[in-house]
Amino acid sequence: MLKKFTLLFFVLLAMLVSFAAYSHGVDDGTKQFLMQNQGVAFVPFLYIGAKHMVTGYDHLLFLVGVIFFLYRTKDVIIYVSLFTLGHSLTLLFGVLANIQVNAYLIDAIIGLSIVYKGFDNLGGFQRILGRQPNTKLAVLIFGLFHGFGLATKLQEFKFSEEGLLENLLAFNLGVEIGQFLALSLVLILLSIWRRFDSYMQFSTVANTLLMSGGLMLTMLQLTGYFLS
Amino acid sequence: MNDTNVPTQSKSTLIKASIAATVIAVFIYFTLILPAEYNQDPTGIGTALGLTQLSGNDDSSPESQLANDSSSSLNTTEQSVEESIDQVEIVVPAGRGLEYKFKMKQYGKLTFEWSTDGSPLYFDFHGEPEGDTTGYFESYSIATANDVKGSTTVPFDGVHGWYWKNKTDKEVVVTLITSGVYEVIGKPH
Repeated sequence: MLKKFTLLFFVLLAMLVSFAAYSHGVDDGTKQFLMQNQGVAFVPFLYIGAKHMVTGYDHLLFLVGVIFFLYRTKDVIIYVSLFTLGHSLTLLFGVLANIQVNAYLIDAIIGLSIVYKGFDNLGGFQRILGRQPNTKLAVLIFGLFHGFGLATKLQEFKFSEEGLLENLLAFNLGVEIGQFLALSLVLILLSIWRRFDSYMQFSTVANTLLMSGGLMLTMLQLTGYFLS
Repeated sequence: MNDTNVPTQSKSTLIKASIAATVIAVFIYFTLILPAEYNQDPTGIGTALGLTQLSGNDDSSPESQLANDSSSSLNTTEQSVEESIDQVEIVVPAGRGLEYKFKMKQYGKLTFEWSTDGSPLYFDFHGEPEGDTTGYFESYSIATANDVKGSTTVPFDGVHGWYWKNKTDKEVVVTLITSGVYEVIGKPH
């Protein structure tokens, strides 16, 4: 048990380290583009949205938690659609209504959403509350927070008002494409793993690590909040 | 309501899992994340592993720069530390001269490119040291041209930029593109 735990621990750590190499914000080249851009630039915004999602480890960790125990394709589609609905609403609304939310706080909540899902996957709420809170509603609500996170990333750049709606829709569409690509990969890996008995043996460890990863992200963001 | 068939763990497993998750997270936070992201190293392990270098001043990642400058808000930090790119159109009225300046630190690099909408202009590209009251300035280049590209590493803290003189009887528009770590002063008021 200890050996397996150690192995998984290092795998997760390696993931974190490699992802940390990407700043989860927006890189310099993209930033320059965003600040200089005037008018509609559909494909570039599509690309930025997709890239943000593919390299957005917080969104991905949450989705890993969500689909961890979803075995039917139909369920995966339903849950991911709810997540998409949630984050699209707040992304569009947040940017269009120019709602300023502190990026650190929202990212801290996104970290907590991962902790929540990890705990949920351990049957924690079932054990403590005697029932599992509605998982569909939870994914929708956390989707709303993730969307605000996406909105704050875009709002950091006071880019041109011209073509805002089109660019925003392109970014949103890009987010969905990126999510689809990343999720496909995750699903393939998870479904391979599910063939082995180790899946259920490891599920406790995996979800514990998910909680741990979420906690790290939360602490990282809260530190940023209090230092800024 | 719920389609997931989640195995419910025993209370002791839940407690162990929660404690393990917290311990791992706190451990990694203090030993790795804090030193690497925020240059704070309460355990000394971050320095030993060389992680604090990641949040050094010369780091170009925006996250660590944000972390370095903790006193100011997000936007001003980015503007003051990060390289910016600007494009501006400056109208030089007929028969008049005007200046356009950037505030920069010593040894800061300014890359520039400007062109007029036609007529060549006399210009003096120069810098004035910060705090100087004698009116001293150093000229980097003086010429008459309608299209100039180049870069310069400024020799001192202060304001640096162009003086253009329009000797024609029609207004001339200069399009100036700059990049570097600077604060735009623009035209003096």
